[in-house]
Amino acid sequence: MTATTTENKPDVAGLERARIARLRPESQWTLAWKRLRRHRLAMAGLFMLVLVVFLSIAAEVIAPYAYEEIDLFRSYAPLFSEGDTGRPLHILGTDKLGRDILSRLLYAGRISLGVALTTTILNVMVGTVIGAVSGAFGGNIDSLLMRFTDLMLTLPTLPILLIMSSSLRQFVALQQFLGSSLSVVVIIAILTVFGWMTIARLVRGSVLTLRSQEFIEATRALGGSQARIIFMHLIPNSLAPIIVAATLGFGQVIISESALSFLGFGVMPPVPTWGNMLNEARNSPLEYLFTQALSPGFCIFLTVLSINFIGDGLRDALDPRLKL
Amino acid sequence: MTDYIIRRSIQSVVLLFFISLLLYVILNLVPGGPFDMLALSNPRISKTHIDRLNMLLDLDKPILPGWYCPQFEGDTACRIDQGRYLRWLGKAFTGDWGESWTVQTGVNVLELIFNRLGYTILLMGISLTFAIVIAVPIGVYSAIKQYSFMDYFVTSLAFFGQSMPTFWTGLMAISILSVMLGWFPTSGVRTAGADGDIIEAIIRILSFGTKYPRLEGKEWMAIKDGLHHVALPAMVLIYFNMAQWSRYTRASMLEVLRQDYMRTARAKGLSEKWVILKHGLRNGLIPLITLLALSLPGLFGGALITETIFSWPGMGRLLIDSISNVDWPIVQGVLVLSSVLVVFSNFLGDLLYAVVDPRIQYR
Repeated sequence: MTATTTENKPDVAGLERARIARLRPESQWTLAWKRLRRHRLAMAGLFMLVLVVFLSIAAEVIAPYAYEEIDLFRSYAPLFSEGDTGRPLHILGTDKLGRDILSRLLYAGRISLGVALTTTILNVMVGTVIGAVSGAFGGNIDSLLMRFTDLMLTLPTLPILLIMSSSLRQFVALQQFLGSSLSVVVIIAILTVFGWMTIARLVRGSVLTLRSQEFIEATRALGGSQARIIFMHLIPNSLAPIIVAATLGFGQVIISESALSFLGFGVMPPVPTWGNMLNEARNSPLEYLFTQALSPGFCIFLTVLSINFIGDGLRDALDPRLKL
Repeated sequence: MTDYIIRRSIQSVVLLFFISLLLYVILNLVPGGPFDMLALSNPRISKTHIDRLNMLLDLDKPILPGWYCPQFEGDTACRIDQGRYLRWLGKAFTGDWGESWTVQTGVNVLELIFNRLGYTILLMGISLTFAIVIAVPIGVYSAIKQYSFMDYFVTSLAFFGQSMPTFWTGLMAISILSVMLGWFPTSGVRTAGADGDIIEAIIRILSFGTKYPRLEGKEWMAIKDGLHHVALPAMVLIYFNMAQWSRYTRASMLEVLRQDYMRTARAKGLSEKWVILKHGLRNGLIPLITLLALSLPGLFGGALITETIFSWPGMGRLLIDSISNVDWPIVQGVLVLSSVLVVFSNFLGDLLYAVVDPRIQYR
C-alpha cells in the first residue's frame, strides 16, 4: 500500500491478478492444509514424527552398534559410558546383555512404526469397505454388518489379543512359513481383526448422510453402478473423518502393539520393539529400572504425542464440526 | 420407553449369547491344553494318559453339538453330544462356572473371581473417584477460561496423559517414587510378614470381627499398609483417567457455553456465577454419564497392565496369569463377566442419559 501511494503508480495489473486469484475457489484439501499449517501443535507434531520416522529408516546408517551386538562385560552400563577402545560411546547405556540401547531404539522404531503403519492401512481398508457397503446397501446387509460390528466392539480386546497371539504362534505350519517374522505378522493380523470397527462406523454414518444427497441420485440417474457410487462418490466424500480417525488410530495401534510386546505376547526378542524393550526393562534389577525404561517409553510417548497433535490439528482443519 | 427397554434387553441377551459363544470357540480352538506342561515335564506320561485326563475334563467332546466317538476301551459307540459350549452355558446359569485347571487347580471359578474382586474394586474405585473429583472441575474451569494459560496447561497435560501408556508411567513411578525416593513400596498389597491385607481387614470390620481372627486389633494397621501399597498404582491410573475426563468435560462444557440459552440466561440479568452453575454445569455434565457408564466395566474388570506391573492381585492379574497358564475356565469366566458388564453398562448409560436429559427420546 505504501508503495502505490508514494510512487503514485498503482500496479493495476498485479492487483487484478490477485483479485482473480482470490476469486478462484480453493480445493477442500488446499484449504485444509492452510488451516493445518496454522495449527502450531500439529506442525510441531508433524516435525517430530518426521524426525522419528527418518531416524528409524536411517537406523542402519546412524546406529552406532548393531542391535543384536552383545557385550557381556558391559551389561547395564549407565548413560554416556564408554564402549570398547575405538568403539563409539553408549550414549543411552546398555541393557542386560550389554547391547547398545540407542541402536536398539532406532531399530525398534522401524518395527513399531512399520507394524503400526501396516495395521492402520489395513484397518482403514477393511473398515471403509465394510462401512461403505453397510451404509450404501442398507437393509439386511446393513443390520447384519452393524450387529457384527457391535459384537466386535463389545469383545474385550486386550485379553483376546493376548490369547490369540499366544496361540497363533504355536501353529507349526505358520512357524515354518514365516520364520522369525512370525510374531510381527501375527500381531498385525490380530490388531487388524480387532481394529477396523471405529472406521467402519464412521464411514457408515457419513455414507448414510451422503446417500440421500442430489449428486448421488444424479449418478444413479445417469446409470452409475452401485460400485461406482460407493468407490467414486461415497468413499471420497467421507475421506475427511476417515483421515482423522486413521491418524488417531495410528497412535492407538502403537500403544496396543507396545502393550502386547510389553506383556510378552507381542513381537518377540531378539527383534526389538519399544514395547519389548520395556518388558526387558521391567525384568531388570530395580536399581537399573530407570535408565532401562526411560528411553523406550519416551520414544512411545513422543511418537504417540506427535500423532495425537497431528490428529487434533487434522480434525480442526478437515472437519470443524467434529469435536473431541 | 418400555418398548425401548424390552427391545434393548432382548438385543443385549442375544449379543451376550454370541459373545460367550465366540469366546468359548476362540479359547477352545487354541492349540495346547492344560496338560501340555505335564507332558513336557514328565517323560513317563504318555499320550494315552493325556487323552484320559482330557476325557475327565470333557475335552474330547465336540465344542458345538455334534457326533462324539469315545476313544476308549469298552465304550466306543458314537453318539450325538450336546457339545461343550451348551453344557458350559447350562451350568453357568446355575452358578457353576467350572473349575480352574492350572492357576489354582480344582477351585471354583466364581470363587476365584470373588476373591480377587475386592482388590480390583479398591484400586479402580480409588482411581476413578480421584480422577473424576480432580478432572471435572479442571475441565470445567479450562472451558470457562478457554485459551487462558491454565487452559493450555490442562489441555497439554491431558494430551500427555493420553499419549503415555500406563506401562511406562507405571515403571517410571516405581523407579522414581519408590526406588529412588523410597516413598512407596514397589508392588504387592501388603508388607511382607504382615498378618493380613487391607481387603481382609475391611471384610473383618464389615463382618463385625467374625472373620480373619489373626487380624484382631490390627485392622487399622492393615488398612494403612494397604493404602500405602495402593497409592502408586492408583496414581498411575488417576493420571491416565484424568486425561480422558478433563478433555471430555472441557469439550462438553465448551459446547454448552456456546448455546443460546446461556446468552438468554445472561440477558435476563443472572450473574455469571449462576449462569455457569445453573445453566452451564447442569447441561454440560450430562454427557459425562456416558463416560461414567463406559468406566463401570473397568471398575470390576480391573486394569490388566497396571495390575501386572504392580503385582496387584486383582481381576486383571488373574486374567493375565490364567492366559499364560492356559487356564481357559477362568479366562472364559472373567471375559464373560466383563462382557456382561460392558453390555449392561452401555444400556444403563443410554437409559440414564434419557432420564437426565428429557430432550432425548427413545423409540
